[in-house]
Amino acid sequence: MLEVRAARKVFYRGQPDEKIALNGLDLTLKTGEFGVVIGSNGAGKSSMLNAISGSLSLDSGQILINGDDITALPVHKRATRIARVFQDPMLGTAASMTVAENMLLAELRSKKRTLRHGLNAKRLADYRDRLAILGLGLEERLETRVDLLSGGQRQSLSLIMAVGGSPDLLLLDEHTAALDPRTADIVMEATVRAVDALKLTTLMVTHNMQHAVDYGHRVIMLNAGRVHLEIGGEEKANVTVADLVGHFAIKTDSMLLAS
Amino acid sequence: MIDFLQTTLTSFVALIPVTLAQSLILGFVVAGIMIPFRMLSFPDLTSEGAFPLGGCVCGLALASGLGPLTAIGLALLTGFIAGCCTAFIHLRFRIHTLLAGILVMTMLYSVNLRIMGRSNLSVFGTETIFDWVPFVQPGFPLAKIIAVGLITLVIFLALNFFFTTEKGTAVRAVGANPVMAEAQGINVWAATIGGIGLAGAFSAFSGALMVQSQGFADVNMGLGILINGLAALMIGEAIVGKATVWRQLLAPFAGAMVYYQLVSLCLAAGMPPPDLKLATGAFVLLMLALPTLRAARSRQAATPRESFRE
Repeated sequence: MLEVRAARKVFYRGQPDEKIALNGLDLTLKTGEFGVVIGSNGAGKSSMLNAISGSLSLDSGQILINGDDITALPVHKRATRIARVFQDPMLGTAASMTVAENMLLAELRSKKRTLRHGLNAKRLADYRDRLAILGLGLEERLETRVDLLSGGQRQSLSLIMAVGGSPDLLLLDEHTAALDPRTADIVMEATVRAVDALKLTTLMVTHNMQHAVDYGHRVIMLNAGRVHLEIGGEEKANVTVADLVGHFAIKTDSMLLAS
Repeated sequence: MIDFLQTTLTSFVALIPVTLAQSLILGFVVAGIMIPFRMLSFPDLTSEGAFPLGGCVCGLALASGLGPLTAIGLALLTGFIAGCCTAFIHLRFRIHTLLAGILVMTMLYSVNLRIMGRSNLSVFGTETIFDWVPFVQPGFPLAKIIAVGLITLVIFLALNFFFTTEKGTAVRAVGANPVMAEAQGINVWAATIGGIGLAGAFSAFSGALMVQSQGFADVNMGLGILINGLAALMIGEAIVGKATVWRQLLAPFAGAMVYYQLVSLCLAAGMPPPDLKLATGAFVLLMLALPTLRAARSRQAATPRESFRE
């Protein structure tokens, strides 16, 4: 379970270009729940994700995972419980290392790294099985350097790396945004299959309204650094892209009026 | 002409054992340059200061009657600390790695002078590790080649083992992609400080062996070692490659052996020693420029009109 309590973050405090990124944001995601976060640029989506993963420290507020306060932990300590797929396929993998080495790095995310030989036969067989699920032929390319893979292949690899070891929380940061539509669909389908099969608690940020309609248990719309709207349950099942875009429009109008 | 070739060849061949012994010793400083550059993507100049630091510490230790192994141990420790300082300066104050290296290197010059109390120190006649090689007369190149060759082999195997372990893979990941490494639960600070520290220890180790080999320590013994090391590394990578971990690790040692023989050949052919640094610098520049030149040429070949328009 993920709990974000009254998270607040201000950039450039006291300067003319002061920006309130998170303004007392509250969010709870139950264990096994798949939340989809939408919102216009500057609504606080990235700040929220960075605050949860630890690369952004909060001015005030708390972040809890399964009841444990992780607000003060650095990124690499939180990584034992949180897995993340970045928007940029380059960011999520180590380009100059092989597919197998990347899988090894991810497998040991929540374990202690020892002075034993890393890539043994048992692990390689396991990686082959796990990559075969994608159907991209990556299982035959374990010794290939990742920078020789396409963006879609790299992002699929990132996904398999992230869901391995069943993290307490999976963060998907617009992870299909940099891909062409067909590859985006492949990666998205693989995501849903893995999340369903492993019952992962997942928070996905997306700009793709169709994805927000099709996937996940709850749509969370952010605006001005806080949760503006939540659509879950029955309502989520019936929501359309037009409805979601409509909420953007209302918000934009109210912003116009306010300014 | 025949005469010239003959004298060149004779003096070169006569120098091969001495040069080999020297290049094996300097292989460690090349390894100390390779690890930051290639394993951690941390361009680093600390070796220029850590190499004489190791030499000065070893010299002082030998002069004050400590054993050769203790002297090397102290050199390793101080070199490790010097490397850690560079890494810490970079991480904590966000100073560019090259500048952090220059700062540490410059400060180490004073430290080295303070350690020895003067600019050079003779330790001739004290016991060295080369005296322990059985069956060969101590002081001759063969003893050094055997001793340092064995150490090189052991260290190469140990490094090769380490960088394929779970921990070693994590260290390489920090060099390949620090953002990803952190997200995979790797402590980037610890890996960087440890890795650069290890590199500093290698440079200092090389300096310590050099002092035991030549019988004196000098604060200026590191002058130009970095550019020589880079040249050696590039030759090594050109010969054995860098695609896999063991090739990358073999490159500095192989490169040092070839590079110093080349230097010896140039000197034997009558190149004035003062010109060496210019030649080495030009060589490193050429090696660095080669990929760009090659890319430019292949672009030209692919689109001949492009160059015409320009």
